[in-house]
Amino acid sequence: MNVFLAQSIMPIINWALIAPEVIVCTAAVVVMLIDAFARPSQRWITGSISLVGIVAAAVSIIWLWSTGGIGPADAFNSMIVLDELRLGFTLIFLLVSGLTLLISTVWVDGENLPAGEFHSLLLFATVGMMLMASGNDLVIVFLGLEILSIATYVMAGFRRTDVRSNESSLKYFILGSFSSAFLLYGIALIYGATSIAEPGPGGRIVAGTTNIAEIATRISQAQYPALLFAGAAMMLVGFGFKIATAPFHIWTPDVYEGAPTPVTAFMAAGPKAAGFASFMRVFIFGLPFVVSASTASGGSLHQLWVSTLMVMAILTMTLGNVVAIVQNNVKRMLAYSSIAHAGYALVGFVAAGAATDLTQRNTAITAVVFYLLTYAVMNIGAFAVVQLIARSGDRRTAIEDYRGIGFESPALAFSLSLFMLSLLGMPLTAGFMGKIMVFGAAIEQKYYGLVVIGVLNTAVSAYYYLRLIIVMFFGERTMAWSAPRIPASVALALAITVLGVLYLGIFPGRVINALQTRIESQLFTRQLSHR
Amino acid sequence: MSHLLTILILLPVAGALALVLYSFAGSRREEHYRWIALITTLVTFAASLLLLKSIGANSAEFRFEDNVSWIGSISARYHVAVDGISMWLVILTTLLMPISVLSSWTAIRKRQLSYYAFLLILEAALIGVFVSLDLLLFYLFFEASLIPMFFLIGVWGGERRIYAAVKFFIYTAVGSLLMLVGIIALYFTYHSFDYATILEAMKASPLTGRAEYWLFLAFTFAFCIKVPLFPLHTWLPDAHTEAPTAGSVILAGVLLKMGTYGLLRFSLALFPNAARDWAWVIIILAIIGIIYGALVAMVQPDVKRLVAYSSVSHMGFVVLGLFSFTELGMQGALYQMLNHGVSTGALFLFVGFIYERRHTRMISEFGGLAKPMPWFSTLFVIASLSSIGLPFLNGFVGEFLILLGTWTSRAVTHSWIATMFAATGVIWAAVYMLWMLQRVVFGQITNDENARLLDLNKRELGLIFPLLVLMLFMGVYPRVFLDRSKASVATIQRRVSSSPAGGSFTTSTGLGSVPTRGSVGSSLVQEPAVGHDPTLPRVGTDPAQAAIPE
Repeated sequence: MNVFLAQSIMPIINWALIAPEVIVCTAAVVVMLIDAFARPSQRWITGSISLVGIVAAAVSIIWLWSTGGIGPADAFNSMIVLDELRLGFTLIFLLVSGLTLLISTVWVDGENLPAGEFHSLLLFATVGMMLMASGNDLVIVFLGLEILSIATYVMAGFRRTDVRSNESSLKYFILGSFSSAFLLYGIALIYGATSIAEPGPGGRIVAGTTNIAEIATRISQAQYPALLFAGAAMMLVGFGFKIATAPFHIWTPDVYEGAPTPVTAFMAAGPKAAGFASFMRVFIFGLPFVVSASTASGGSLHQLWVSTLMVMAILTMTLGNVVAIVQNNVKRMLAYSSIAHAGYALVGFVAAGAATDLTQRNTAITAVVFYLLTYAVMNIGAFAVVQLIARSGDRRTAIEDYRGIGFESPALAFSLSLFMLSLLGMPLTAGFMGKIMVFGAAIEQKYYGLVVIGVLNTAVSAYYYLRLIIVMFFGERTMAWSAPRIPASVALALAITVLGVLYLGIFPGRVINALQTRIESQLFTRQLSHR
Repeated sequence: MSHLLTILILLPVAGALALVLYSFAGSRREEHYRWIALITTLVTFAASLLLLKSIGANSAEFRFEDNVSWIGSISARYHVAVDGISMWLVILTTLLMPISVLSSWTAIRKRQLSYYAFLLILEAALIGVFVSLDLLLFYLFFEASLIPMFFLIGVWGGERRIYAAVKFFIYTAVGSLLMLVGIIALYFTYHSFDYATILEAMKASPLTGRAEYWLFLAFTFAFCIKVPLFPLHTWLPDAHTEAPTAGSVILAGVLLKMGTYGLLRFSLALFPNAARDWAWVIIILAIIGIIYGALVAMVQPDVKRLVAYSSVSHMGFVVLGLFSFTELGMQGALYQMLNHGVSTGALFLFVGFIYERRHTRMISEFGGLAKPMPWFSTLFVIASLSSIGLPFLNGFVGEFLILLGTWTSRAVTHSWIATMFAATGVIWAAVYMLWMLQRVVFGQITNDENARLLDLNKRELGLIFPLLVLMLFMGVYPRVFLDRSKASVATIQRRVSSSPAGGSFTTSTGLGSVPTRGSVGSSLVQEPAVGHDPTLPRVGTDPAQAAIPE
């Protein structure tokens, strides 16, 4: 279809397709309004409305999916799509936000912070993440990223009087804006690179595109391959920063350590998953494997980004795990652990990128989605416990503060141990199944070396995950310590995460089936039949 | 009778849950925890004896099969069954568990709830390891057994417990993670995690030489760490020494068998060609382990460390028997696994008895215990003799079969040299054991504290007696055990010693529900599809010759 013609007519507006985003956005605005007029004693209202909004959005996305028929649907000039990738990620985001909301109550109440502001920021961040997963256009992806980032910058600095929180926020803001600029520049270059000449003699030059599907069809005829490479590299840097992969991870430990614990939990699980959602969509669907007679740019570009990602995966896993060993602060340790987990997820991403078979590619994408789901559950659980033990003001986050608390507060200590074992990837926990899935996908693509490095990293990580268990259970308490009170909301979040870790670890079948992506790609099958 | 194995796995888990629930009861008492644990383990043991009923001689079928889909999208199945090999190991596990609980009766005073809960969870995982026929399920139980053991050593262990626990965990985790890569690679080759299905598929399309080589290494490395084979044994003395008595009993009695069982069930049966190529390396390492373990045991000042190093030596025998690829040797290896569980388990219990009385395990602290503790001394000597391998006690049968098997083995040239070296291990065992006995049990009482020691009480006698009876029984009438395992061992032996298309496993029931590509066998495929290699020793397959050498 002629691109100009398509753009000049009125776009198809399908409100149903963005219902989840609209619901969460509305909830956020309502929360803001109520917060402006509510008395401090009515603080619980905003939390409840946020929770209702999140649940409603989850219901709507499931409804959308179950009635939306088979195959991807799109709207708004195919800027928004509906496919399994979006479904899976949206559910992860809503789960993360819901759990963050539950565990943050103790912090917001305890430190007497403006709850309404926090809840609306959290909801806006969620909208941003959802847009990143549903956007099929680089512009939407960027918009989503910015909505998410700005909300997160504020959340990181939410403890205004705490200098660590300020540092965290400022660092995140400066480096985050820098990386967003990279991403935007990359988008601009891709737009330029995808301007092509219309077929036929004397065809005029057509402007570029930011639509991901359209990019895929054009990369083999790109006028300026160098621009394409440069644009892809810039985007790689931008996304690499958001998901905290080495060598773009430097901000992570400081930001995670300084931010209030519930915000750290959110940042490690939510925005990281959102980064993966659009990173995968842009690179796997936008820059797929292409065999082209005219220029080799498409094929070699694909090869280049897959091998770059592989190197990044190795670097990220190794660096995250090795540096985590020497950390003495639990939040910092979990920050490095989150870097390492981004590396494991990248292993699945590499497999998805390298797959030349549609089924295998879908399986690999499913593996990454499932991995991020398991990571979100166990990570938020771990941070929930860390938050309770740290008390208000995040005072006790050193590993030494955990010495000997194992049998004095068995419920918390055993939950934390379960999350640690799950992060480590021990069987019967979610982490194990997640690792099986991503490593399996990589082995299917014959990345044996990568997987061996991955499992050796797992062995290295045993050291620091076990360290916390050792300190809690094997050491004797030296300082006075009283078990923290567990508020009902946090208890609920802990119950959800503990049961979630066990359920995903023992009976993952149903969830994997539900997340299974069946994304067809006309382009892809055409390419394959050519070969 | 159906779902018996699932019940066996779930019973201890239910016991652990009962413990946790009981801890919420208002009128709870600390000493009730051990009763709950004891009753659970005894019931589990009684239930496991039902396995004996329907596995007769000369049948290698998998019995008591449960086979349902577990994770559909990667076709992993919950597939459990026992044959003549795994049945005995399951019963060994369930037998040692109540004994361990009894041995902890007074020794464990702190945090009893968690202690017994971990013991029960460990039991479930161990049973799971021996009955899993799905590779992913096997791996799951294999790794899951690490965690309770890690806690048992780390919380209730001795002085250097943290070092020992971490070393134990990391050592074994590294090995098994590489096996996980192997398992996944195997999955993508045959699109199944199911043991029987993979074996069947291997007949039609065997692995390439290179793939088999690497997969064998991945699996065998994991198992050899667990066994442990020299030079991967260094975690064992630390873990054994620091663990509480019950932990040592389970560690030596059952956990090490996970390694040898894995070698037998998976390394040998799945990768026979690579196993044959590597046999000489493994045999040399096993022999080094036998002699090295014995020599190091000899100079240990600590009784528990001495017993730990004797385990290295004894497990070397087991590996030697397995890699002789003769039915005699492999049967002997299986028998030695059971022997080692009984004898070394008993030895650790004896060490625990004196440790509870004196809070030291140094040989130099003891001497002349025979006078104040006649029961203890008599029974300790019997257990030690069984460990040495005195005829009429169990150790002799296993070691003799292994040596006989190695002598006739074609796995290595000049196997008689290997046998000769291995046989010195028996002599060394006599040296270190008897020397230790002389210094601990006999002689003059040099330390006054020893003069007032109380002899074994009824509980202690009661928990040690079943093991001593077993030692005697297994020493004089091994047929009961060997006949039931014969067919299963022979199947693996034929698979590993003959051509790749040799004997393979099928299961009698439930295969209809498995999406196999292979044929559905009505019983175990007894005869190799391709003719037996005439140059290979026939001892194993001849019923007359396979009879017990007596």
